[in-house]
Amino acid sequence: MVKQSLPVVQTAGLCKTFKDFWRRPRVEAVKDLNLAIKPGEVFGLLGPNGSGKTTTIKMLLGLLYPSRGRISLFGKAPTDVVVKARIGFLPEESYLYRFLVAHETLDYFGRLFRLPKALRNERADRLLDMVGLKHEAKRPLGEYSKGMARRIGLAQALINDPEFLILDEPTTGLDPIGARQIKDLIRELGDKGKTILLSSHVLADVEDVCDRVTILYGGQQRAAGDIGELLSKRDVTQITTPALSEETVEQVRGLIQKLEKKDILDVTHPHQRLEEFFLRIVEEAQAANIVTSGARAGGALPEFLKVPTAETTADVVETLVEAADRPSVAVPVTPAALPEPAVEPSREVLDDLLSTPSLRSDDTAEEPAAPKAATEPPRASRARPAADSGVIDSLIQRAEDGENEGSK
Amino acid sequence: MPIWAVARQMIAEGIRMKIALVFLALIGAVIVGLPFSVEGDSTLSGAVQSFMAYGFSATAVLLSMLTIFMSRSLSDELVNRQIFLVMTKPVSRWQFVVGKWLGITCLNAVFLVSAGLTIYGMIHYIRISHGSGAGEAERSSERKALAEEVLVARHALRVVLPDFSKTAEREFDRNVEEGAYAGIPDFNVEAEKARLRKKHEARWRVVPPLSSRVFRFENVLCERSREVFIHLRYKADVVNYAPDEVLRAAWVFGDPANETPEYIVPIRHRVDRFHSIRFPSDAVAADHTLRVEFVNRNPFQGERQFGNVMDFRKSNEVEVLFDVGSFEGNAVRLMVLMMCKLMFLAAVAVLMTTVFSFPVASLGSFTVYVIAGARSFLMEAVDFMGVGSDSMFSSFSAFAGQLIAHVITMAQWVVPDFGYYDGVETLVNGRNVGLVWVLQGVGELVLLKTVIVLGLAVLLFHRREVAEVSV
Repeated sequence: MVKQSLPVVQTAGLCKTFKDFWRRPRVEAVKDLNLAIKPGEVFGLLGPNGSGKTTTIKMLLGLLYPSRGRISLFGKAPTDVVVKARIGFLPEESYLYRFLVAHETLDYFGRLFRLPKALRNERADRLLDMVGLKHEAKRPLGEYSKGMARRIGLAQALINDPEFLILDEPTTGLDPIGARQIKDLIRELGDKGKTILLSSHVLADVEDVCDRVTILYGGQQRAAGDIGELLSKRDVTQITTPALSEETVEQVRGLIQKLEKKDILDVTHPHQRLEEFFLRIVEEAQAANIVTSGARAGGALPEFLKVPTAETTADVVETLVEAADRPSVAVPVTPAALPEPAVEPSREVLDDLLSTPSLRSDDTAEEPAAPKAATEPPRASRARPAADSGVIDSLIQRAEDGENEGSK
Repeated sequence: MPIWAVARQMIAEGIRMKIALVFLALIGAVIVGLPFSVEGDSTLSGAVQSFMAYGFSATAVLLSMLTIFMSRSLSDELVNRQIFLVMTKPVSRWQFVVGKWLGITCLNAVFLVSAGLTIYGMIHYIRISHGSGAGEAERSSERKALAEEVLVARHALRVVLPDFSKTAEREFDRNVEEGAYAGIPDFNVEAEKARLRKKHEARWRVVPPLSSRVFRFENVLCERSREVFIHLRYKADVVNYAPDEVLRAAWVFGDPANETPEYIVPIRHRVDRFHSIRFPSDAVAADHTLRVEFVNRNPFQGERQFGNVMDFRKSNEVEVLFDVGSFEGNAVRLMVLMMCKLMFLAAVAVLMTTVFSFPVASLGSFTVYVIAGARSFLMEAVDFMGVGSDSMFSSFSAFAGQLIAHVITMAQWVVPDFGYYDGVETLVNGRNVGLVWVLQGVGELVLLKTVIVLGLAVLLFHRREVAEVSV
């Protein structure tokens, strides 16, 4: 029996109508939105421009008041300062003070969280290191590029080690390195049990990091569910192997025709993703110590962000117990599960993290209506599964068995 | 702590964005430049008085402008949306509003103290440098006058007027017996009695040649000693004066009938100017009353008696002055009063920016500043418009006029009278800026009206959706 945790975010019939000067309805930005984001979940809010994503976030943060409906964060009103102390927010643009330097900015926001001076300084230093701006800590933010300001925006969102992180278009304005770092960071924080709401219209970002998504259009929820469920092509199987000779391919083709009575749809050499190629070039430049006045490769996730939340620790036990009860099942290989080449710049800490067992809860176990037969893999393994060479072996073995039977 | 964090942020913004520094430079330039352009009445006291009057007044005006400009910070945060980051931190709306107000107030306090210290330093500069061409005796005399009459905190007592109602009643009864009022339509008895009282008071204030007038003062709570001196200040407002424009007369201090010594001080005072006469304080009786007599007779042998008619006008009331504190303490109390006004104005500026965009808000704040500064004048204008008469709907102009009058009458409940709390003239004249006055200012301007205005600002800001930018 899985214990149902209190949702971090819950909305019921949420509506927002903007009015003109004469209080006449002008735009109905959000209509009857029902959301429930569970602890430890990375939740994606998807939609085109003007679909109501940012309006929804502003209502969740108490910056706008709903026209109708209810919102609760950690079971309380969004304007409650106790709730705000548990939240980190990165807005869609970096609304920072141009006259402050980076360290002062983080110090100011740290003060608003009532953090002691020593802790503020420590966290500011670590976060600046993490976002790769430690060497620019004394420059006024007015002199920062958009991407650099974005990194400071991210750092301020993490100054309080939030339990719930709201990221509105987090990769906007960032170079591919920064965008990749943000995605890695989201994954790491998700692994450490943070609840994350990610709003974006960059579909790849959401697909890479989110557990569940809701797609908004015209202020209304059009689709919602587990991202693996939504994107999985049940009628296609993809197998990735090291490069095969034409002869082997022909053998496999014949084998599949024989066993499944189906043709292979496509046999290609997969392309390296441009993002990965770009990151490799930059990493080489950084290794050669080429000077730059901009952001450098980010440092490690600060220690204070690595500590799992209390809720997550409780969920770990449940996850382990549930995992022991669950039968082993075959894992369908989807395009999203392809292993990625190791091209990340200076990610020693990330590597350490990935080598340690995840403390995340298995969210699918908490989804009462989720079909278990489909057997979605845990997110960490979905992100980077090892190539399953055993599948090919078993196919060959079955073919050999079939041939033997046929020859008898 | 969040309040102080917001306040610190506000101060940093003021300094980094150079708004505050520009005003600080302006204040410094005005204060340091004034001694070289203001001379007063050519005496040392006059030069210092003029400098202090202009210096403190300019500081008050510039800091008021700074207060209104600094409120731009809140407006900017709304327009540039930094408020999104602040309001998603554990900061209440009231803490944010109060923090902004506190930031402006802290800046004002620092600048006001800086200006006060600069003025104090420049006073000593003027004291040293003034009249460098004059003889040492003259300079010494001028410095003594400055120390005794300007750089002091003296309490001023006004004369206790005799009761003119009895004489007015007697004249009224006589007029009635003589039938002077017979046949006058809508005759108002009280108005006539008031007119008669005024007439007798006006007569009392005029002292013809070869006559005298006795002035009585009560509650003269100074030390009574032959060694301690107190002052009488009056204006030689003379009609029909001598060609050399000098009033020759005598003042008599003390009341032998009340067991005090009597001091006779003959005077040769230039007409149409204020003069101060120094006399021993043992002229004050044990019951803290003081009898002073003006004798309009030339006491100097060999000098011609002229037909001077002395007029002790109400606007230039005779006063007795005695020391109650130091100039430095007086200046501090003046700055507390100035600070109270700035605190109220800061609250108004914050209130305006919580509701309006900066151009509209600054206009609103400036309007309140002007109304507060000219409130007594406006109230006189309201009286002139005749609030309460029943002719409000007789014409459009009457309606509009009375509507404005009613609005101003209501506004006075919230907008204080800055003129009432203007202590610059008091300080400049060496008068005591009374502690009760200062406490009254703190009570009305800060504890009552600033709290009301800030409370309103918090209420409105609490209801406001900060993600909706107003224009």
